[in-house]
Amino acid sequence: MAELIDYLQFVLAPQALNGLSLGVAVVLMALGLTIIFGLLDVINMAHGEFYAVGAFLALTLAGLGVGFWALLVLVPLLMLPIGWLAERWLIARVFHSRDRHILTLLLTFGLGMIMEDLLKLVYGPNTQRPENPIEGGTEILGMFLPNYRLFLIGFGLALIAAVWLVVFRTGLGAMVRAAAFDKDMASSLGVPVRRVYAGTFAFGVALAGLSGVLLAPIYSVFPTMGRDFILMAFTVVIVGGMGSIQGAVVAGLLLTQVQALSSLYISPVWSDPLVFGIMVLVLMVRPQGLFGRLGHA
Amino acid sequence: MPEATLRTLSDPGRAGPASRLSRLAPVHWLALAFLAAALGFAAVAWATGNGFYLRLATEALIFAGLAMSVDLLLGYTGLLSLGQALYFGLGAYVSALVLRDVAPSFWLAMAAALLAGGVAGLIGGVIANRVKGVYFALITFGLAQVAAKTVYNTRALGASDGLIGIPQIRVGFGPFSLDTADPLSFFLLVLGLTVAAYAGLSYLMDAPFGRTLAAIRANEKRVPFLGFNAWRYKLAVYVLAACVAALAGALYPMLRGFVSPELMFFETSGNAVITVIVGGVGTLVGPVVGSLLLTALRSVVGSWTEHHLIVVGVIFMLSVIFLRKGLVGALLARLNRRGEQGRTAP
Repeated sequence: MAELIDYLQFVLAPQALNGLSLGVAVVLMALGLTIIFGLLDVINMAHGEFYAVGAFLALTLAGLGVGFWALLVLVPLLMLPIGWLAERWLIARVFHSRDRHILTLLLTFGLGMIMEDLLKLVYGPNTQRPENPIEGGTEILGMFLPNYRLFLIGFGLALIAAVWLVVFRTGLGAMVRAAAFDKDMASSLGVPVRRVYAGTFAFGVALAGLSGVLLAPIYSVFPTMGRDFILMAFTVVIVGGMGSIQGAVVAGLLLTQVQALSSLYISPVWSDPLVFGIMVLVLMVRPQGLFGRLGHA
Repeated sequence: MPEATLRTLSDPGRAGPASRLSRLAPVHWLALAFLAAALGFAAVAWATGNGFYLRLATEALIFAGLAMSVDLLLGYTGLLSLGQALYFGLGAYVSALVLRDVAPSFWLAMAAALLAGGVAGLIGGVIANRVKGVYFALITFGLAQVAAKTVYNTRALGASDGLIGIPQIRVGFGPFSLDTADPLSFFLLVLGLTVAAYAGLSYLMDAPFGRTLAAIRANEKRVPFLGFNAWRYKLAVYVLAACVAALAGALYPMLRGFVSPELMFFETSGNAVITVIVGGVGTLVGPVVGSLLLTALRSVVGSWTEHHLIVVGVIFMLSVIFLRKGLVGALLARLNRRGEQGRTAP
């Protein structure tokens, strides 16, 4: 019995907590993706690069002497116009064509490629490691946890709750959901649908940028940093149901736990194939994912 | 009924065999012009003894085969595959294993790659065709990721290093034979295979099979009302595309002497999609032209900066927005317009 408790306390629980801090981060990425898909039907292939841009912006601003807390506000604000322009100049251009699913996917794919190379051009290909803004650690139930990870979990959960409140409990969120459900009806009821589209895309991009700021101290910063992360975020969005907010949260926390706990028993190199295997299975059996789409539930 | 009405009722594009021939001509003329240019290039490169550019052009043709398989799915059937590198890489690995461990036989390697591509395509096709639209793109992407990561982590397949030391071979055609170590012979062989693939596939796409695929692309819901099983056709074209990709992949280790898991990664799949979009969707010549242009561009731009992705990315996005049918499509539209003016003017 004592052995079992020891196992739970010293093996499973730390791994689960590490998984939770990764999970919160993945959910933040996936939220932006899923909101953009739920409203605009756009698979944003450049999401990982927006995340990288956020991290690099934070690095540059920190170099200019901006504090970490200011970055948490400043970087998303700077990302908003980038997202707005990307929607107006690129997505809106092909939005009314018949193949818009494929065309918008291709456009954001191209955009991501350009952004990644621009980051390489400006910052060089090397890995940079920002300073840890919250030093030290805390002992909980006999486990030592870095304070920054605890902060990440707390802040991330608060942010997820805030996004949920905005989408489901405000007039702005109601407009977004109405536009997602029936854009023509929403438009005739006075919802400025085009602005809602651009605004939502910008919001998703800002969320990606914010995840970049939050994760930079843990996973260091390099131009291709978005790539590994985006695959996980896509998997979460697909498993949770594309365009579903609660789906992204549930699937994000669930899949990162699967990844974290499975790496105790099988070599961690196999956790990626495992997670992608789950994604393929879900697509086969229940392509709409675990939960319904934004505005349709 | 007035004659004019009759003419508009019967599809103006398919008025008779003669006009059909002239309508089809431009794309095949383009292919012939391209072939002539390729042969001219080979002659110049041979005369100047430039093996490097011959090898580069051979590689471009090999990746053109992969791009053609993407075009079969995207251009003719309307299915975007983001994981075609899975079959390309599979063909490359199977071919490498056969050449290294079984027998240094070109035909055996190609046959094994074809078989592997067909079987994997059947399995992948059954899985991927359960879903439509963006979900199809994502499931093909996921499948390729699973396969790539598995190969990447499998020690027996060389893990992240891949397989090296694939022998150079002699390719026998009855009494003749050529050496893959010789840049010119191997270029001509790959060129011949590319032309054969183009001819065979464009014939098939003009046959009832291809017409049904076009119907699926135009409106999949109506296809069953015409008595066709859309699912079967989509599976068939998926398997066909997988076979084409696997055959193209099988040539890769003969050229480079090694294979690596990068051949299966998303970069490879993504590059194939870029090639098709820039070259021309739904033309089959487009992927070949696109592959050669992009390879040349990368080599030229790459000689003065390593940031060629920006250039390629901008060209790609401009193609998506302004040239929906790519370079070849734009060229064909011009040729067709001139042809029509020529017919109506007198």
